[in-house]
Amino acid sequence: MTFLKLDKIKKTFGELSVIKGVDITASKGEFVVFVGPSGCGKSTLLRMIAGLEDVSSGTLSIDGKEVTYEEPAKREVSMVFQSYALYPHMSVFENMAFGLRMAKLPEDEIRRRVGEAARILQIEPLLERKPRALSGGQRQRVAIGRSIVRNPKIFLFDEPLSNLDAELRSQMRVEIAKLHRNLGATMVYVTHDQVEAMTLADRIVVLRAGLVEQIGSPTELYDRPANTFVAGFIGSPKMNFLVAKVTGADNAGLQLSHPAFANGFLSLTHSSAGKAKIGDLLTVGLRPEHLDVAAASPLLKLTADFAENLGGSTQIYTRAGEDTIIILANGRPDLKPGAQITAGIDPRHIYLFTSDGLAL
Amino acid sequence: MRFSSGKILHAIGLTAVILFTLFPFYWMVSASFKTQADILASPPVWLFTPTLDHYREIFADSKVLGAVGNSLIIASATTFLAVMLGAPAAFALARYEFRGKSDLWFWFISNRMTSPIVLALPVYILALQLKMLDTHLVLILIYLTFNLPIVVWICTDQFKSIPPDLEQAARLDGADQFTIFRKIYLPLGAPGIAVSAIFSFIFSWNELLYALVLTRRDVQTAPVVATSFMSGYELPWGKIMATGTVIVLPVTIFALIVSRHMVRGLTMGATK
Repeated sequence: MTFLKLDKIKKTFGELSVIKGVDITASKGEFVVFVGPSGCGKSTLLRMIAGLEDVSSGTLSIDGKEVTYEEPAKREVSMVFQSYALYPHMSVFENMAFGLRMAKLPEDEIRRRVGEAARILQIEPLLERKPRALSGGQRQRVAIGRSIVRNPKIFLFDEPLSNLDAELRSQMRVEIAKLHRNLGATMVYVTHDQVEAMTLADRIVVLRAGLVEQIGSPTELYDRPANTFVAGFIGSPKMNFLVAKVTGADNAGLQLSHPAFANGFLSLTHSSAGKAKIGDLLTVGLRPEHLDVAAASPLLKLTADFAENLGGSTQIYTRAGEDTIIILANGRPDLKPGAQITAGIDPRHIYLFTSDGLAL
Repeated sequence: MRFSSGKILHAIGLTAVILFTLFPFYWMVSASFKTQADILASPPVWLFTPTLDHYREIFADSKVLGAVGNSLIIASATTFLAVMLGAPAAFALARYEFRGKSDLWFWFISNRMTSPIVLALPVYILALQLKMLDTHLVLILIYLTFNLPIVVWICTDQFKSIPPDLEQAARLDGADQFTIFRKIYLPLGAPGIAVSAIFSFIFSWNELLYALVLTRRDVQTAPVVATSFMSGYELPWGKIMATGTVIVLPVTIFALIVSRHMVRGLTMGATK
């Protein structure tokens, strides 16, 4: 059942169009992540759901009720801000109680709810402190606590972890995932970090320049990206792209040529092979983690350029003519700059895109 | 310990500024304890036997006490009204977009560009025709005209430094505009409001020109009374200086109490 529905949502600032018609739905209890590069409109979209930005056109409904022009407070959503936005002059308790006081709840009910949220987030000893006496991670918890107490229909998160250091970020990521599991609440989460998107989301919405590029589960986006943008955005390190020429095509398979291919060409079976014509240019996508430097029948011949030792694995930067190919190799292969190496790949892990960037 | 030449120059500069500012103050206070003969002695007398005669004289004079009372009423009322009216205006200017906002802003500032004496005669005629001469109200209104821009100015700056996220969080929490102003902007903007209140109070307390022009006998303020001791036949410097000291004392104490806020308020927004 659709719980949150964005229908042809647009946002313009004067002449500037920021959101150019977006349709998104989410069901109850789902964890939806908006991901995309800076300026793609993901935060604006979130703020439109919250009611902090006006919707220029389109409709927005929550729990079957249209709220396009409803006041923020009446939408029963809560938001965790990137800056946490804690009231600096109020204690942690008062920060969390503020919304409940606005709703004129009885004092004992306020105490009960704040106590409950503080227990879930393990911030009970901090209730009397002011935000300035808290660490970044504790402020984050208070900000989450402030949204929990109001028992909202939807939790909105606007890049909540970007102000934390790496270790705390992964710790809070796990906590937010657990919170989602325990509360069973609908959550919409904005981030530019694809790792957060992959680990937290039930469904990811990839946005670019005010448009949805693809919506799907993390696995779908990773396995079947709709275009080169999604393919490059999801997965780390980034997918490698080579532009190859079609030298043979029939309904069963394709032959592609690129100077970096070990035999000069690549033959593979592909269900949509019939769509390609001889002479077309196709983009071949190869994920760094799928490339294998020890493969028996190599696909690529490459020149090693630079290697980053990550401890358990090594990120190898290689040259393939004009292009750079990154390989994520297990262990610590001994490579000198300029060394000739080969790399193979399971043909099932080869992605093909048309010259327009769309998946073949 | 070594001192760089830059630091020494800095220290000399600061000392000069301090002497320049404090010397008149010292002169006034010391003169208030000198006899008329000592005050007029040339070269000046640095060591003297202090006398409280001037203070006895001015406190015996009901005019002085009444004037201090008038000053208190006028300065407090002006400050109260300036903050009550200025802070909400500043909130609107800091957070909302509306037509004519920049014109309004410029108008506030332009009020301060006019030299007060230019308006003295028109204001006098206006007060005369409205039969408001020699009332508390006329001075409160005219001081309000001069102080409101300062209050709005400082408070707007202060309110702008409050992160907009806080207001948005409060909106999501269900707070209306007035609650946001009262519960978020007023407490967080307190340093700026305090500074503007101090400026407003000091301005109204010290103002001489309009107080001189618009009052006669009943509502004379302290600075007016101090200058009124000057007559064509004598210049009772001791009495004038003692009155001056009495006038300055409350403001100095007031400023010392709130100086912590004052520094915070003036530097706030300058650094993040």
